[in-house]
Amino acid sequence: MYKRLFVLVVIMSFSLSLAAQSGSPQKKADIDPGAMATLDKMGAYLRTLNAFQVKAVQTTDDVLENGQAIQSDRVVDVLAVRPNRLRVEIEGDDMHRLFLYDGTSFTIYGQLINYYATVPAPRTIIELIDTLNDEYGIDMPLADLFRWSSPGSLEKQEITSAIDVGPSSVEGTSCEQYAFRQEGLDWQVWIQQGDYPLPRKLILTTLTDDARPRHSQILSWNLAPSFNDAAFVFDPPKDAQRIAIAEVTASPSNEKKSEQGGVK
Amino acid sequence: MNRSIRQLLSITLVLLLTGAPMLAQRRGGGTRTSVSQGNVNRNAHASQGNINRNTNINSNRNVNVNVDHDVYVHGGYYGGGCCYHPVATAAAVTATAMVTAAVIGSMVYTLPPACSVVIVNGFTYQHCGSVWYQPQFVGTSTTYVVVAAPQ
Repeated sequence: MYKRLFVLVVIMSFSLSLAAQSGSPQKKADIDPGAMATLDKMGAYLRTLNAFQVKAVQTTDDVLENGQAIQSDRVVDVLAVRPNRLRVEIEGDDMHRLFLYDGTSFTIYGQLINYYATVPAPRTIIELIDTLNDEYGIDMPLADLFRWSSPGSLEKQEITSAIDVGPSSVEGTSCEQYAFRQEGLDWQVWIQQGDYPLPRKLILTTLTDDARPRHSQILSWNLAPSFNDAAFVFDPPKDAQRIAIAEVTASPSNEKKSEQGGVK
Repeated sequence: MNRSIRQLLSITLVLLLTGAPMLAQRRGGGTRTSVSQGNVNRNAHASQGNINRNTNINSNRNVNVNVDHDVYVHGGYYGGGCCYHPVATAAAVTATAMVTAAVIGSMVYTLPPACSVVIVNGFTYQHCGSVWYQPQFVGTSTTYVVVAAPQ
């Protein structure tokens, strides 16, 4: 009798320890090394592009207070010349913004309102993206393209799941579709097959809002853009008015941030 | 007692004047547009404000300037927001703005009517009655902040 109980206890504790051990390998099994390798390959390829133009047709959900998701569209045109020139044009349903960066200053211009603001800028595009985000709360469209081409960026993202979904066509181009998970975010990327592993489609699903709003975009690439230096320099149009740009206040809560406004 | 009744009345007044802004008001948090952005909250910065393309509904948290909401102007939209010119806005406004004591530092998405543009040190201000507004970009949106008279 006692012997039987003893055997039972041994078996139980053994299986418990097995279960405990299987915890971490289980997590790793969610990550397809092939999918991660392709992300790396895409980043390495993006790094080789010294000048490129990319047009993104974007669709974004905004969530209302009552939880309803409302969709809106934008077209973003990016012309980037590494390391320090950038021109971004954003056209939305009722907004138009131009970002210009010439290596020394950054200008944001609203064409419809004819307002602009100019601030000193850091030395590289990647530093500019961080500065705009940290200091002014400006999200650079397609910031991922620049971050992915910096070594170590994938580690920082802390991907918890990576799946190779399979072949998929994006506007006639053969791609491979991948799906990833990280904290608060599910995302999918379609990467062009062959020698030019470019991202062609990207969908982000925000998980921290129960409406699960999406941001999706389809990218068209031009790897041999023509441009001149004037394309990156802001020449204020007639009657354009210079205004200030609010700095992000060091407030942990968003509400406070918007109330304080951070006038400078 | 008296005071709380007065508070209740003024809240009701604000609600009446601003219509039903909560429905068109964007939720905090925001939709992520980047997978590599470390901090989720940073992305949400530009996602405040209302979302209605056609109706000017005030963003009225702690804002003491209320413009009647059935004024037709474009703007107040998209975290990108507000794309109307303030002068055009002022011209299109048909209703009267109620200016209670405008608190310095408070923010509005639209201006009261009859403002004049004043340029001080190369920066544009809007002078509306006795109140000075400084247009500014907040993220990619434009808003107006009540400021002390510029020197």
